[in-house]
Parts: sequence; C-alpha cells; structure tokens
Amino acid sequence: MKHLLATLILLGASAAQGATPPPEAATCQACHGAHGEGVVDGDKPRLAGQSAFYLDKQLRDFASGARDNAIMSAIAKGLNDQTRAKLAAYYAALPVPAALEHRAPTAAQAERGHQLAIEGAEGKRVQACNNCHGPDGSGVALSAPALAGQLAPYLAAQLKSWQQGSRKNDAGNLMSSVASRLDDADIAAVTAYYASLE
Amino acid sequence: MPPAVALVAGSTEAAAAAAHHPVKAATPAPAAAAASVPKPPEKPPYLFFNVAEVQFIEPACERLIPADESGAGALAAGVPNYLDKQLGGAWGAGERLYRSGPWIQGTASQGYQLPFTPAELFRTALRAIHSDLAQRGSAFNELSTDAQDDYLKSLEKDNHDLDGVPSAVFFDMLLKMSIEGFFSDPVYGGNRDMVAWRMIGFPGAYADYYEAIDRHGVKFEREPLSIGEDGHGNVHVHPEIPASVG
Amino acid sequence: MAQRLKEVDVVVIGVGMVGSILAKELAAAGYKVVGLERGSTRFTVPEFQSPGIHDELRFDVRKALMQDNTREPVTFRNNTSQTGLPVRRWESFLPGTGLGGSMVHWNGQTFRFQANDFELATRTRERYGKGFLDPDLTIQDWGVTYDELEPYYDRFEYLLGTSGKAGNLKGQIQQGGDPHESPRSRDYPTPPQKEHYSGALFRKAASSLGYHPFPQPSSNLSQPYTNPEGLKMNTCVFCGFCERYACEHYAKSTPQTFILPVLLANSNFELRTGCQVQRINLDSTKKRATGVTYIDNAGRELEQPASLVITSLFAINNIRMLLLSGIGKPYDPSTGKGVVGRNYAYQTMSTVASFFDEDVIINPFMASGASGTMINDYAGDNFDHSGLGFIGGAFIGAVNTNGRPIQYHPTPPGTPAWGKGWKEAVVKHYNHTVMFSLHGSSTSQKQNYADLDPTYKDAWGQPLLRITFDFPKNDLKMAEYVTARGVEIGKAMGAKQVVGSPRKGPYTTQIYQTTHNTGGTVMGNDPSTSVVNRYLQSWDVPNVFVIGASAYPQNASWNPTGTLGALTYWVADALKNKYLKNPGHLVST
Repeated sequence: MKHLLATLILLGASAAQGATPPPEAATCQACHGAHGEGVVDGDKPRLAGQSAFYLDKQLRDFASGARDNAIMSAIAKGLNDQTRAKLAAYYAALPVPAALEHRAPTAAQAERGHQLAIEGAEGKRVQACNNCHGPDGSGVALSAPALAGQLAPYLAAQLKSWQQGSRKNDAGNLMSSVASRLDDADIAAVTAYYASLE
Repeated sequence: MPPAVALVAGSTEAAAAAAHHPVKAATPAPAAAAASVPKPPEKPPYLFFNVAEVQFIEPACERLIPADESGAGALAAGVPNYLDKQLGGAWGAGERLYRSGPWIQGTASQGYQLPFTPAELFRTALRAIHSDLAQRGSAFNELSTDAQDDYLKSLEKDNHDLDGVPSAVFFDMLLKMSIEGFFSDPVYGGNRDMVAWRMIGFPGAYADYYEAIDRHGVKFEREPLSIGEDGHGNVHVHPEIPASVG
Repeated sequence: MAQRLKEVDVVVIGVGMVGSILAKELAAAGYKVVGLERGSTRFTVPEFQSPGIHDELRFDVRKALMQDNTREPVTFRNNTSQTGLPVRRWESFLPGTGLGGSMVHWNGQTFRFQANDFELATRTRERYGKGFLDPDLTIQDWGVTYDELEPYYDRFEYLLGTSGKAGNLKGQIQQGGDPHESPRSRDYPTPPQKEHYSGALFRKAASSLGYHPFPQPSSNLSQPYTNPEGLKMNTCVFCGFCERYACEHYAKSTPQTFILPVLLANSNFELRTGCQVQRINLDSTKKRATGVTYIDNAGRELEQPASLVITSLFAINNIRMLLLSGIGKPYDPSTGKGVVGRNYAYQTMSTVASFFDEDVIINPFMASGASGTMINDYAGDNFDHSGLGFIGGAFIGAVNTNGRPIQYHPTPPGTPAWGKGWKEAVVKHYNHTVMFSLHGSSTSQKQNYADLDPTYKDAWGQPLLRITFDFPKNDLKMAEYVTARGVEIGKAMGAKQVVGSPRKGPYTTQIYQTTHNTGGTVMGNDPSTSVVNRYLQSWDVPNVFVIGASAYPQNASWNPTGTLGALTYWVADALKNKYLKNPGHLVST
C-alpha cells in the first residue's frame, strides 16, 4: 500500500512539474483550461490545487446524480474508479495558477467577505466560513474544499444553488443551512474576497 | 475485528494528504504524509529561565519525554520554550489562582495550598535543586541519563523540601506542563511542527468529521492543523493567549 | 451608599439557561424583568468561533470559560473534622460564568430522570422495606412527580431540538430506544446523532449480554432544526471540542442558540452584565424580599428593587445566595436542624478502559459531547437491588466525547508516568482504546452539606461557600457493582485488556468528575426538610424563587440538565398562571 501511495504521489509530483497529463484530462482541459485554471463564467471552476478528496467526491456525485449537472454527469459516468482517482490526483497536484481576470472586491466587499470568512454574522446565524474551509479558506483535506483563489462567479453560482436546493450533495445540510441565510450582497462580498486570496 | 484500512486507500486521499495547500507554480510537490524527522529547532531566546535553570530544564524535560523511535522528544518539540513563555507570562504570575491566605496544608483531596505562583514555585525549586546538585558535585546536565532519571524519581517520590516547595509538587507541575508543552497547539510555542500530534494521529484545530465518523475503524490521515496557521502552512506563535475570555 | 434604582416587576439573578428561559417567559407575559449576570455577554459570533475556540490548553486545561478562582472559588473539606480550604484551581467541578451560563460549555447530554427518582424514598421503602437504607442517608421525595413534569420535559427537549430515539411512547416500548425510560408523549424532535465506532462496538457487546443499548440523547443536533421560538440550529460535525468549549457551528443547544435572541429583542427585558449580586434584600419582617443589592464592573454598589426575585444561579451559588441573604435556616449537621445547605450531593463517576490491538482504529477525536451508545440496565432502580446492600445505579456507555491529547492519552495500569515507557504506551494506545463512562447516582447523607466558610472570602469581601462532602458508603458500593458489569461488557467487545476503575473514597477535588453539584436548596412538601416547595418557592420568603439543581433532594443516574429544564418551564407556568396573578404562598406552610 505504501509503495502504491508513493508511486501515485510521485506521478502527481511529476505531473506538477509540467510532465504529461493523463490522456483522459483532455476532456477536462476542454472546459477547465489547459492548466486547470477554470473559466470566469460561473460554470467551470479552477481544478488546479483543489483537494483530491473533494474532486473525487464531486465526480462520484456527478455520476450518481447526487450532484446535478448535465455535462458533468455525462462525463463522470464514463469514468471508472481508477481514472477518476488519477484525474483527481493530477489536478490536486497542479500549481494554483496566477489570478485570472476577475473583478477584485471593493473595499466594502473585502471587509464584509473577510468578516464572514473569519467570524461569521450573528444576526444571520452564520458561522465563519474558515471554521470548515480552513485557514484563509485554503481547504481542509478530507472535509471541505479550498475556496481561496477559486473563481468568484463559480463560488457565487454554488451558493445560489445551495440556496435554491438545486445542489444537495452537502452531507448534514451544512452548506444549505449557511447559504439560506446569506443575501446577495453577502454572496458577492464573500466570493470576491475568497477569489482574491492567493 | 475488521482489518485496519487507511482512509489513505489510494491515490486520491494520498494526494489529498500530500497536497493540503495549493502548490504555487515552480514549487516542488510537498512530501508524503508519513511521520517526518523534524528540522533542528531554531530556539527562541529564553525570557524567564536563566542559564543555570536552562541547564536543568532542558535535560529534565527530555528525560520526561525523550526522543525515541516513536518520534521527537521534548527538546525537538520545543517544550522548554513553552515552559519559558508560560512561566514568564500571565499563567506564571498566578492567572486563575486563588491567592489569599491563610495557607494551611490540607489533605490530598484538598489540593494545592501553597502561596507560590507557578513562576515563584519554579524559581524557588530550581534554586534549591541547583544548590543541592552543586553540593553533590555535578550539574544536572553533566549527569548520565540514568543518573538524571534517578534524580527526577527522587524529586517525584522522596518529596524533599526545596526551600518550602515540596519536591513532589514541583515535579508534578514540571511533568504536567511538559505534557502541555508537548501536546498543546503549536501556537503556544511547543509541539513544534506538530510533532506530537503527528505521533498519535491527532488532526488538530480544524475538525469537521461529519462524513469521516461513518468510516468505522478506518485511519484518518490528514496533516494536523494549528490555530496559529495561515493559508500557506506557516504557524504564527502567540504564547500570550490568556486563560480567560474577558 | 448603594444607589437605589427604579423598581421593576422581576429581578433574575444569573442569566444562564434557567434565567434566560424564565426571563423570556415573564417578559413575553408583559412583566418588566431585569437580568443580572456577573459575567460578560458572549455570542456564537464572534466569541465562539474557530479556530481559536479549539484550544485545549486554554479551555480544557486552564478552564477559560469558568468562574475565576482568583475572585470566587469555594472551600472544601471531606468532613467536619477537617478545616475547609480553598479550591485554588478547579478540577473536580467547573462552575461556569457569563451570559448563557454553564450551558455554553456543556456536553449536550440531555436526559430525563425516571418516575422512580421523584419518589425515591417512598418507592425504595415499598420495594425493599424500611430497613434497607443506610440510616445516614437522607434521601427524599421531590414533591413533584414525573407525570406532572412530563409535558415540561417535552417542551424543553423541543426548545433544544434534542436528538434521540424514544424508548417508551405512551407506554409502548420502542425498538432501538431505552426500554427503561418513563413514558414520553412523543419522540425526540430530531433523530439520534450518528454512532461512533466505539458506540457500535459497545452496542454489539451489550446486546450480546442481553442488555438494551440505545443512542445517547444529544443536544448537539443531528440535523438542521428550527425550534418553537423560531430559532434555527445547525448540524453538529463531531469536532470533538464540546465540553468546556463553546460551539462555533450553532449546533450545540445553548441559550445563545435556543432563546437569547428572542429574549434580548423583548423590550420588557433589560440585561445587565458585570453585576455581582451581593444579597437579596429583605424587609423588617424578613418574610418579604424588596429586591437585590449588586456591585457592577466599576465597583459601584446598586440596589435593584423588585416585587419578585428569582435566583437562577449555578446550583452551589444558589445555596450561597440564600445564606448570604439570611433566607431560610442554615443546616447544622451536628443537630440535624435547618435546611439551607442540607442534602448536598454530586455524581459518582467510574470508568472502564478497554485496550485493543493496534489494528483497531477508534479515532477518539471524532465526537460530539453526547454521541455515545449506552445502557440503563444498571441505572436507577432498573435492576433488583435485593441483597446488594445499596440503592442507585449508573448509566454505562461508550461515551466518547473527545481525543484531545493533553488530557486524553489513556495507558494501561503499570505504565510509567513519564519517560520512554510512558511515551511508547501513549502512542500504542491513543487510537486503540475505548473508555466507558459509568455515570452513577449520588445519594444524600446527613454529613454532606454546604455552609458559609468562617475564614476565606471572595474578591468582594463576602464569605465563600464551604462544601463538606464525601461519598456515602452506599454510592461506593454501587460504583463497585456497576463497574464490574462494565468490565464484562468491555470483555465482550473483544478488547485485549479491560481495566475497571470504580470510584473510591475519599472524594477529591483534584480529579474531574462532572459539574453535577446538586442539593442545598432542596424542594419538597415538608418545610422541615426542604428549602423550597414543589414550585421552587421559598417557604420563608414567598416572593423568592430558587431554581437550579440545588433543588434536587439527591442526584439520579443521569446528567441534571434535562430535569432542570423541565423544572424551569414547570415554575414558569406556576409563576404566570398562579403566583403573579395572586402573590403569596403557593403551598400552605
């Protein structure tokens, strides 16, 4: 088991140093960019540097229907366990790219976003995002994905879908509880804040 | 009994454990999450202990929690530094301690009944230990480890009077604070590189186990995380955190 | 000279769980209520947030959320032949402070007592005969029955959103719940929390021995919940920082999550923090309270007049408040006369440690404060005590609440306290050990009581409370018996080594054993053996109500909070429907 681990990590490492991505990654690159950097349209998140556990889980959830997206479901259903794991490992080991073109937060948004991230909002019964998403939103392996440096429109679209109930794959309703208490200004602030973090 | 199966069952979780923090361009991928040998500690300066006291405290802590095959000991973990900052701070000065007299020695059930603050207790005891050892001809750090252990056992069991501090009381406080320095969050200056947490598999201050709790009997392999850590894995040390909430 | 403030209808001393609920009920009914809290305000945001709250040294070891010993400890002795000495640092019990009180840092273990407990004296005599009890024991009936309290237990559980599985619905035993529980009118408001691996091991072993394991009722919620006050609570994520910590997730039921926003929004209620109440003031007849005197954060002495005074402090502080105020006759163990301070009791805690091989991974750090699996087969009077020589019992459970390493690093007997052998044992056993909690009842006896210390004072110059307590022989016998049963379960789990540690005397303040201090302002039907009547109204001063676990004549096999919540709502109804409409004695003296 340890050898397999070491091998796979080395594979990941060599991938990070610009070696060939796995052939199946071509499908991913078509939408998520040549370096997993995503597209600033709200639909195609950055994959590079995201938690492999999280990426793998989302692919599984797309395949099973626990997470709903017509394009991703079709793609995910075509992957087996090993390919899925390989792709997740590949993208997890990629370096986080330099910030893409996206709107920087206004001063007010940065302040509000920072407050929601490290403190929460008592009046809205919202806890600090970083409680689960880690120091400076850098993610907590095996629990919650990184938010730092993720694309703001994508984060906003996810919060909206938690709110509306169109995304439901949060165990324990942890995200829908939070999202249901945020208003549009909160969403704009916290997503712009996290997107601006390096 | 189901066989132990690591949650790090394949590449997915392995890479997860390895790539906790997003890797910047041109930075090599981080090492695998096996128990690693800690770097030699850069020692912060001692602000409370004087040189003679350090000559007892450092080797004593290392006898209490020695480096061995299971991992780092007190010195590599920065336990003496932890003690130094606590004794030199509010806790050492008597935070949360009822300090009014009269001071009457009670029963074991009635607990600590001495006027000393932790800082005063250490100063007094260490001074007495220093002169005791000087009379015997060797400083503590000059003794063999066996002799050091014997001396510590005698403090623990024989209960000498260290200028008013019963040696068992001093030993008890030294041991308790050493264990604190070993296992507390590295924000306090001990448990450097979270060596103690890695040794036992305690994941630290970020703790959402809603899904993991269902995986009965499966080892949870994740880099430990500190209160003082930023998004790039640097731990900022703040030993002055008070033992109150204001 | 104390500044005299404008009179209000009600003053509530202590704004913890009891004070918050009562203040809300009375303010909502139109009364002007002032709540005096000695500690500070604190809310989930920002005071309870991570990662800072997950600091074992600060909150567990140094007890940052607790009453500050520097200013106000207690004194303690095992018996009257000793001198009471200050508890200079808390260990055995940890009184809280601040808005929301001890229920900010509790574990969320939420139980009902059983019908038998409320009539313990009568039913013990009936079942086992008059000579069965040790003559030193002073156990009593409560003056209120389980059936009377059942709707209030229900109300409290629904306020909190408690997660559990009913075992007895209106007399029908339910599969998967506790068959020993007294009948409930409906199930818990949310389903049980997920089971920890240690609980699953326990459940299998306990079932194999013919016992009835069930999920521990938990007020760390299993799913999102909106309570009858309209307040939303979240799912607990098993972070393992429950007891002694505040919850950052809005998932542990505390006054902050289940009632304070509603209370604080009511303009009939005024919260004053940093106010240390010195005494309840009485008029010249000594039969009527005129209000309270307190000292604020800036050291100013103020007098708050009120028609009704409710002391809803932590149990031991309720006793002290009455003694400092001269309400009720203080108990004297040498004569057996008097009532205030009498029948002080605690909790008789034992443990069983089951050590497994290193291929059994327990993950103790994944836990809520109440995500255990337990049995009540040896609790209360659920088993036949004939010939055993004691009354009472304990719940036995794999109650894994945390794996925080400074204080949790179990090692088998014979492990050295330090050095290489210690370190090796810690590594070997940390993730491979299951600890059982045996949570035993605590009977009252003549010799155990509380009074004012003759020597030591608090920072305001007032005498400290002195607790005189040791375990009754009855309780130590009970501990031996239940621990042996626990060891059998540990062995049935297939552990390599099982070690039972029954509680032994003398009682020490130096080892943590719960903060379940009870008694001292006991409720009952007979003023010669109780301080308050069945509505927790003072027999001596009818416009003073004393609400806390200090009302319990003895302590049962379960955590006191659930029953205190029920009593709080019971008293709220008595106040609104009886007392405030027609002030006076609710029970003839």
